[in-house]
Amino acid sequence: MAEQVPTNTAANFGPSATTPWSIHMTDVSVTYPNGTHALRNVSLSIDAGEIVSIVGLSGSGKSTLIRTINALVPATSGTVIVGGNDVTQMRGRQLRELRGHIGMIFQSFNLADRTSVLNNVLVGRFAHTPTYRTVFGRMTAADKELALRALDSMGMIEKVWLRAGSLSGGQKQRVAIARALTQEPSIMLADEPVASLDPPTAHSVMADLGRINAESNLTVLINIHSVDLARQYANRIIGLREGEVVYDGPAAETTDADFEMIYGRPIQTNDRVGAES
Amino acid sequence: MTVPTTAPLAQPATPLRQSGLSGLPPRPHHAWRTVGIVVALGAFTTLTLMPAIGGIQLDFTALVRNWSNSLPTIRQLLRPDFAFLPRTIAPMAETLEMAVAGAAFAAIVSIPITLWAARPSNPNPFTRQLVRFIININRAVPDLVFAIVLVAMLGVGALPGFVTLFLFDLGVVVKLVSEAIDSSDHDYIEAGRAAGGTQTQINRVTVLPQSWTLYANQWLYSLELNVRISAILGIVGAGGIGRLLDERRGFYAYNDVSIIILEILVAVIVIEFASNALRKKLR
Repeated sequence: MAEQVPTNTAANFGPSATTPWSIHMTDVSVTYPNGTHALRNVSLSIDAGEIVSIVGLSGSGKSTLIRTINALVPATSGTVIVGGNDVTQMRGRQLRELRGHIGMIFQSFNLADRTSVLNNVLVGRFAHTPTYRTVFGRMTAADKELALRALDSMGMIEKVWLRAGSLSGGQKQRVAIARALTQEPSIMLADEPVASLDPPTAHSVMADLGRINAESNLTVLINIHSVDLARQYANRIIGLREGEVVYDGPAAETTDADFEMIYGRPIQTNDRVGAES
Repeated sequence: MTVPTTAPLAQPATPLRQSGLSGLPPRPHHAWRTVGIVVALGAFTTLTLMPAIGGIQLDFTALVRNWSNSLPTIRQLLRPDFAFLPRTIAPMAETLEMAVAGAAFAAIVSIPITLWAARPSNPNPFTRQLVRFIININRAVPDLVFAIVLVAMLGVGALPGFVTLFLFDLGVVVKLVSEAIDSSDHDYIEAGRAAGGTQTQINRVTVLPQSWTLYANQWLYSLELNVRISAILGIVGAGGIGRLLDERRGFYAYNDVSIIILEILVAVIVIEFASNALRKKLR
């Protein structure tokens, strides 16, 4: 459990292990090689420790926005400052080190299905491990400890030796979150984390992200489509339409009318997941 | 079948042609193209059989004329001399050893080279194309040519046979496995990159375990091919049962040749059954 602060191990996973980072984007545009303008002059400030929902239709630039923060998609112009570091200027080893501080989870979980849960979670230690060590499969005891603690905090410890492919969708996403937590990140990015999950599982995974935000004091950004989940689990909502920020306000004050403005159409039944059952 | 009156989509109970759909595009006709392709292939094959313009000369009447000459040979082949069997054991063992050793070394070396040749595990186009280019050259050389050159370089024996099989297997495994990796999904690579991993780390911890079955399949397949190939490599001096086969053939001892052929047949079939059984387990 995350609240069980380890007493005297070198691995110190827990609420106090990291400090959350802020994110400042100035005039960020992304144009893909095929000419698509995915982001147009986006400027945003996200404070350290916030939990933010980014909403918009598919194709609105949510995925691109979240990927400019760890430079999986480089910004074509503008600057992205993450935890005081200018991501747009970073290359190579420097960039990998920065990514080590930013956890990320995905809609399709992105686990290597044919290897063990533990191996998948150890991916979270890449940025802190010399390549030769990884090649020879020599993980440190501290790294293993971190991985196991992260799995435990997600309630997945008994799955540690199973193949990732044998898990259910919700379990896979929890392992993916554990992988991100193993990084001891300062920011957590979530790209449509519950879009492949059934409503009860979606709620519990969103609750996990909320808990991580509160307990580990991380900055959390969640790309999400569902109106109700976006409102329920985040403090702030940012709306994207055609690559531009068209809404930015506290989640508690975001009305259905605001969502209809962001989506450019009336809210439909499949824009909601429904109440937690 | 009841057609719900409220759903207009349920209507195509009538055939499309009569339904009066206006947007249906005309079905494209390929009949003439098919005829053209068949005619072109037929003409090309005919031309290759016309010696007047440089085609090959096939004298089918020779089959009938020389038939009687082959009768004693066939008669001998049908009477395998089992007394010769003991002398074939050692060379046959050498053949199998070459096959296994070649496949095993190729398997080990193929692991990193395959990852360098596949797009998901090597995004750098320059090094990837370089590796593919070298492998393609390797594959363009027929195995017997490798064997002949290597026998000249390394001397008669099992060593040139082993090296031939190693090079041949490397080409097969790297090409087939890297293409299989290319054509499958690897969304976990993005996760590794997001965690700050180098490509080598991502390959080692995720791509490799994800691709083991692809590898194992081709390793077994290359072992199968090896048993077949190594049986004749000896004809050019590269060790194994092929050398004995060539020697007995030279003495027109076809009942000895027959026993060797039988032995190769048994070995190939046994290996194929074993490898098929193993590959089924892998799936």
